[in-house]
Amino acid sequence: MQHQTIAPTPMPSGPATPSLRPALFARYRALEDLRHDYPLILVDRKADRPLLRPLSRVIDDTLKRVAPADLSGEALRSQVLRLEAGIRARIFAGREGRLSDLWREVAAEMIETSGEAPFGALDNNLETARKALPLDGMVIGCDGETPGKVLRHAWDAKQAAKAHRFRKIVDGLILKLEDILKSDHMKSDEAHGPSALASAMGETANGAIDFGALSSVLHRARPEDRLPADRVDRIRGALGVLRCQPFFGPGRASHNCAERRDPYSYTFDTCSAALDAYRERLPDVLEFTKALTVAELEVAHKYRPELHDGILASFDESDLSAEQINLLPSALVCLRDGETESAEIARSYEALACGLPITVMIQVDDLLGPTSPEPPAHSFGAGTARLATMAIGLNNAFVLQCASAHIHGMNAELERGMEYEGPALFSIFSGATPSVPDVAPYIVSAAATESRAFPSFTYDPSAGGDWAARFDLTYNPQREADWPLHRLDYEDAQGQRQSEEVAFTFADFAACDSRYARFFQPVNGEAREEAPVTVRDWMKLQRAAANFSAPAIPVIDPDARLFRVTVEGKLAEMVRRCNDAWRRLQELAGINNSHALRLLQEDRLKREQTAESTPAAETPEPVAETPVPAEAPAAAQEGAADGAPWIETPRCTTCNECVQTNSALFAYDDNKQAYIKDPDAGTYRQLVEAAESCQVSIIHPGQPRNPDEADLEELIERAAPFN
Amino acid sequence: MTATMTQCLTQLVQTDYGMTDYQSEIEPRWCTGCGDNAILTAMQRLCRDEQLPPEKTVSVSGIGCASRLPHYMNAYGFHGIHGRALPIAEGIKIRRPDLSVFVTTGDGDNCSIGAAHWLHAVRYNMNMVVMLHDNQVYGLTKKQASPTSPKGLTTNTTPFGAALNPLNPLTVTLGISNVSFVAQVVDWIPELLYEVLHMAYKHKGFSFIRILQRCPNFMDHHFDNWMQDPARTRILTHSDGLRLKPELSRVYKKQETHDPLDMPRALALAALTDEVPVGILYKNPEVPCYDELRAGERPSTPSLVETVLNEEFDKVGIWPAETAEAGR
Ligand SMILES: Cc1ncc(C[n+]2csc(CCOP(=O)(O)OP(=O)(O)O)c2C)c(N)n1
Ligand code: SF4
Ligand code: SF4
Ligand SMILES: [Mg+2]
Repeated sequence: MQHQTIAPTPMPSGPATPSLRPALFARYRALEDLRHDYPLILVDRKADRPLLRPLSRVIDDTLKRVAPADLSGEALRSQVLRLEAGIRARIFAGREGRLSDLWREVAAEMIETSGEAPFGALDNNLETARKALPLDGMVIGCDGETPGKVLRHAWDAKQAAKAHRFRKIVDGLILKLEDILKSDHMKSDEAHGPSALASAMGETANGAIDFGALSSVLHRARPEDRLPADRVDRIRGALGVLRCQPFFGPGRASHNCAERRDPYSYTFDTCSAALDAYRERLPDVLEFTKALTVAELEVAHKYRPELHDGILASFDESDLSAEQINLLPSALVCLRDGETESAEIARSYEALACGLPITVMIQVDDLLGPTSPEPPAHSFGAGTARLATMAIGLNNAFVLQCASAHIHGMNAELERGMEYEGPALFSIFSGATPSVPDVAPYIVSAAATESRAFPSFTYDPSAGGDWAARFDLTYNPQREADWPLHRLDYEDAQGQRQSEEVAFTFADFAACDSRYARFFQPVNGEAREEAPVTVRDWMKLQRAAANFSAPAIPVIDPDARLFRVTVEGKLAEMVRRCNDAWRRLQELAGINNSHALRLLQEDRLKREQTAESTPAAETPEPVAETPVPAEAPAAAQEGAADGAPWIETPRCTTCNECVQTNSALFAYDDNKQAYIKDPDAGTYRQLVEAAESCQVSIIHPGQPRNPDEADLEELIERAAPFN
Repeated sequence: MTATMTQCLTQLVQTDYGMTDYQSEIEPRWCTGCGDNAILTAMQRLCRDEQLPPEKTVSVSGIGCASRLPHYMNAYGFHGIHGRALPIAEGIKIRRPDLSVFVTTGDGDNCSIGAAHWLHAVRYNMNMVVMLHDNQVYGLTKKQASPTSPKGLTTNTTPFGAALNPLNPLTVTLGISNVSFVAQVVDWIPELLYEVLHMAYKHKGFSFIRILQRCPNFMDHHFDNWMQDPARTRILTHSDGLRLKPELSRVYKKQETHDPLDMPRALALAALTDEVPVGILYKNPEVPCYDELRAGERPSTPSLVETVLNEEFDKVGIWPAETAEAGR
């Protein structure tokens, strides 16, 4: 921790020096020496790999693999960390490149300056480590282009995953439809012709096989064996559309498309362009969706023209399901606050509202806006910062807001937003504010989150039905508090070490912006009646009292001298509004929820009033659940009372024994089990003999129906065991 | 997830397959009274009740009387070679997981010449139903002893009686790793035959059913002791296994509640000799299936496989023209 020397007061009067800095920034002056989330690697896509990974973590992972944890790994560790510092310096200087390329470049330079020979120890060490790199990708720094690069990278990864899924489905269908046509072709006379047979068997030069003769002994095609012509047409039609679809580039199975178009582009500069493209491409989407449905039905052999023709003919935009739309690429619109017209920002709100699969990225570079004319009276920050909070109200859009400094921290949320099947808004503050020239964008963007000027949050409609599940403020420091508190260590004029707890507030954030310098006054510059108070204490004052005092914040000058300035007029008002907005977000996230607090308070009062204990309620006896045995009514289907013959049909084993003796008397039912079809269609003898030969003894001959039949006495006796 | 459009449109298609839709043009040629008839009927009932489209159903067999079954089913069929029903069925299943695969095999087909395939098929645990028609004899070749023939049985190959104790297909199957479903049933209780077949069909994995099957032609009255004395049949019931209807419950009074996950008890039951256990001996839906483990990421058809193979070969190919060039 560095210590600052407190500035000798009084400060020179007049407007505050333009290069003020919040006092807490003092520790981050040499950012390029610090290992932090940047340089960031946009990781090449591969399953199980994160989208983003800080260079420092990749280096740590690599060292864990190749450098022994004990002293013997020390040399390698320090060499690789030096190489990392070399890459970081290049990125800070504005370079960009793939990790493997930058690695080689820095390594070569290190070897040269070391004076060691190529293939020496240093070279070997660095090469060993390079081979152990777990991943590769573009290495980027934190600047004005970062949000766009990260978002495009994430979006590309999502489209690649979509293309993979799409091809798997569409190629699979194409191949199966081709199989159906092919197996139909195999039944044709053509496929049985001499030349087809010859090519199927491979040319035999010596003519050992007479394919003409072979062909003539094969079956001729029977019309009833071939597919109906309308089915063939339908399959061909669907195949044509699937093979030539213009949404993704061709897959393996779509090589034979005669008139292939270039696949559509899905990145846009404005929402209007994205919406126009959506309209224009709709006919293709509908045609494709229908072909896909036909293909799926045909592959399952479930297409029924009488049922499905009509439904598909009338299929239009209103019938498109989210699932069908999500099979196709989604649109990416990149907007930039300050460059994009404000009307377009409003359009994007409408585009999100209509629920189309559109991903909108709004990059904010300047949160505070100009001071002239005066800071807007009824809002703080740029309109775009409000858009994210407004979009939450749409309920159907995924919303993520964060600053560049936290993109990696929220990498899982970023991925979730990309996966979300519906509109998504990413509002990202780059930190590259032109009016904050001497502070790294990384620091500015982190300060925006810290000061609650640009809180990090996500709203994920797919996460659940209520706010608790959907809204997440996790990625804000000390989110229970109005402002995060930090310890500020410094040396006073006597060289004594001092320490105090200070909040990092919206005013501290504004203090870096040169345009806002005039809203800060040295504490002793103008005579004030009240002593200066901290922003936190000032916020607690009633409005009337607050108007008579001004809050003060600690700042440093370029020589890291610490002093205090008061926050004046409109800016103080902005501080208050920022805090209001933050508290509203806290409530949405269930922190210090005003309703809940009130209920808790009432509850506590009630409990204090009713001190007497209520008698414990008696626990009811569990009702034993005794299953009633499902005894069927005994003998319900046993024995025909009138002496008619009968069979225990459910026990029949379909052995054909009885039905072969007399199929008018014995027949099979719907389950192919025997029953007495017509007791008068045969003789009593037949019944008795069937009973005797039935292996499972389930035929009951009953009493003779024809008293004139021969040998009745003997037959009745034989029938007795079966009745 | 909501139903897809294709699923909705598919539901519009009412199928109404009846028993006759699964009956081929060929009349069964089994002897009158042969238990194979009952098994065919149970299978056709299952197809009808599950409304399995004949074009999505495959019946595979080896060689034997039982193995004639695919001829009598109106579905895709493969009457294979002796002992090789299972490898054929595995090939079908891995290539066309969308088909329902039924395997019919005999005690000779499966337990002698096809025994090696049997062991590995159990271990692969691929999703199919296997019916072992066990008549304890070679029927088609007119009465030779099979591995399951009881000791002492006189046949054309054992004129002085079979010398060895029979092999027990149930204990063998239960002993193979990755076993996931083993049941036993008899052809002469059609309701239970149907129930067990139904549970086998619903089970995901290799469902092995040993069916004691009457061969009145060569083994007449062989199973009479069991058929005529219900007390010698032990019905295995469980909430996750067979549930007996009251009518059957009255006849078959010897019942045991057997948890199909209880392997030690399953082995003990399988080894019973005086009684015939009927029901689900073992059932474990958690066992991994080889066909699922090895399911490709990409769709594959013969033409695609050819394309990919050619691409691979081309990487190391020596082109005739280049060779000629180099030779000059
Ligand atoms: C490779 C080969 N060996 C032998 C035979 C002769 N053979 C035909 S069926 C059969 C035994 C069938 O017995 P089983 O499998 O029990 O069927 P069952 O006829 O009893 O239903 C044999 C040995 C053959 N067809 N092929
Ligand atoms: S003889 Fe018995 S088992 Fe065979 S078909 Fe007739 S009733 Fe059924
Ligand atoms: S010989 Fe036996 S197994 Fe074969 S059909 Fe005849 S009764 Fe059935
Ligand atoms: Mg046999």
